[in-house]
Amino acid sequence: MNAGLNLILTASAALFAVGAFAVVARRSAVLMLIGTQFMFFGGSIAFVAFARFGLGAAHASAGAAVAIFAGATAVAELAVGLAMAALIYREHRSLAVDADRG
Amino acid sequence: MILIYAVVVLMLLTAVTSVVVRNTLWAIGSFASSMALLALLYLTIAPFLLFAVQLLVFTTVSSALLFGLLRQTTGLESSQEPFSREWIIGSAVAAALLALLVVVVATTSWPVRATENAAAGFGATLTNMYVVSLAVLVVILASAALGSGLLLAAPRGSMKSPAPRPKGTRR
Repeated sequence: MNAGLNLILTASAALFAVGAFAVVARRSAVLMLIGTQFMFFGGSIAFVAFARFGLGAAHASAGAAVAIFAGATAVAELAVGLAMAALIYREHRSLAVDADRG
Repeated sequence: MILIYAVVVLMLLTAVTSVVVRNTLWAIGSFASSMALLALLYLTIAPFLLFAVQLLVFTTVSSALLFGLLRQTTGLESSQEPFSREWIIGSAVAAALLALLVVVVATTSWPVRATENAAAGFGATLTNMYVVSLAVLVVILASAALGSGLLLAAPRGSMKSPAPRPKGTRR
């Protein structure tokens, strides 16, 4: 057990949960995309923490490398998601993802 | 250690703020603050390059993209009422996920190795050991840029499904 590792893993879990809340509860495309960003970065924090404190990483900088790749993938996902949100707004004059429902 | 606690608490507070507030502008501002605090957390436990990339690239690009969308739209205020049915379901899902992960973290005895912060040579390691990953990443980023550009260039009305044919007509 390690206080630093446990603290950062708990923070990672909390950030992931915040992102899950945004994805499930909010209808705005922007807030849902922000939620997915939080979920991506929550996972990245866990990788960095294990590389820094844990035995799992073969190389001490492997976790940071994974964090960089995950962050770049998250930015790519955000770019495509925001383009889709802009299209939704053009058609429905709303950023709500369920604008068709009512 | 106190710095890490402070940064973690502030990061989680700004993250919660960004998904709870109704004003989208405030949400994006809180999101940017949260990403900057995440970069500070990286500064304490990870190589400096990760801190720099997180702060200068990820935070800046994400915030710029979100503000760019806001400039195209007028959707500043969310019409969703707080504490609606979706909020209760979302809170339940988030609480269940958090409880599961915290139980796993608390009950597992992780093998711990005291390593130094691998700050030196991280850039060289990234370009020497992860060349293929970097190449794949470049392909992903280029595809995302191309795809979002094509989506934004699509003519108006292209998302709508075709109108139903009148009765009695044949193809």
